[in-house]
Amino acid sequence: MKDRALLALYLGLVVAGSLVHDARWLGAGLALVILSAWRDAWPLMRRTVRAVWPFVTAIALGWLLVQRGDWRAAAPVTLRITARVTLLTMLAFRMLPAVSLPRALGFSPTLRFVLVLATSQLLTFRRLFTDFRLALLARTPRRVGPTVALRHGATTAAWFLRRAEHDATLMSEALDARGFFLDRD
Amino acid sequence: MHIPDGFIAPQVYMPAYGVAGVLWAAGLRRLRRTLEPAAVPRLAVATASAYALMLVTIPLPGGTTAHITGVGMMAVLLGSRQAFLALSLVFLIQALSLGDGGVTALPVNALAVGLVGSAVARAAYALAPGRPWSLFLAGWLGTVVPAVVVALVLGWQPRLGATADGQPLYFPFGWAVTLPAIVLPHLMVGIADGVVTVASWRMLRAKEAA
Repeated sequence: MKDRALLALYLGLVVAGSLVHDARWLGAGLALVILSAWRDAWPLMRRTVRAVWPFVTAIALGWLLVQRGDWRAAAPVTLRITARVTLLTMLAFRMLPAVSLPRALGFSPTLRFVLVLATSQLLTFRRLFTDFRLALLARTPRRVGPTVALRHGATTAAWFLRRAEHDATLMSEALDARGFFLDRD
Repeated sequence: MHIPDGFIAPQVYMPAYGVAGVLWAAGLRRLRRTLEPAAVPRLAVATASAYALMLVTIPLPGGTTAHITGVGMMAVLLGSRQAFLALSLVFLIQALSLGDGGVTALPVNALAVGLVGSAVARAAYALAPGRPWSLFLAGWLGTVVPAVVVALVLGWQPRLGATADGQPLYFPFGWAVTLPAIVLPHLMVGIADGVVTVASWRMLRAKEAA
């Protein structure tokens, strides 16, 4: 229940944040999120800046170009968008780690089941993918070119798809052996 | 397509959630009613493999890299319905668990990439099933068409919300900027996606035959 309430609160705040257009209010919201993080404020700010800077920098520079280099004309839009994007991203990093997604979306047992299985597999696959990439780099004396990258991509994709089929069979057999499918309607 | 929150207007993401929500509910109901025990685990690992496909990066001219989408491959192997659910789950996990892409972009991505992308890719594959050119076309269209849809949605934002003096409230650039900026790089990524789709399909068939 706590997770569902937290997720609902987060989604409500996202909608509210996207309806506010005054940069001062958005800045105040940002200050509140930073204050609420207290001791974790610095890592939170660092993570947020790392996530948003490519987007907000591209938007700011692009908009400045549209305004033909006139900083004063470009500032209101740049400030509003930067403040909103930073606030909503920081809000996500502040609130979502406290939410257990399978519990929050537990209103649908099928969705919860798929989410738990998918997340566990996804984390395993991500680690395996990193191993594959490191192995390619270790075995390639020069910089990886497009042909090698494409061949490696195709091999990796085929491997993951085969592994997925294998894992699905194993998983359903394991679940079946534990009587999971007996109470299905 | 890793659009952070704050760029898309509520006039877009709320109806998009409505449409995507109906499709997600229908997909989950169909999944629950299926009598095949492996259906749910298969969707879960399909989700994980869709995510793994998105990790495959290719170098682009100019020293940058881009990741393939794997939409064509997913649509060819799973069908467009399953691919839509698997890709939506990837976006959901990325937005809410991994902090990659905003929650307001989730329904737009699900509809553009998961629904439109996989439907177009599946249709392209159905033209000549198993032929290399149809597989390549499925991979290419599965990347390029969603990029066009996302570029159209983003470029629409300045028309949806503006101050009295015409200053945009959300994403500030119109179609003249978004279409070339988003679609042109994806024409290249689409080629890589097409090549990977053909090559990995061949590898899978060769393994099956062995």
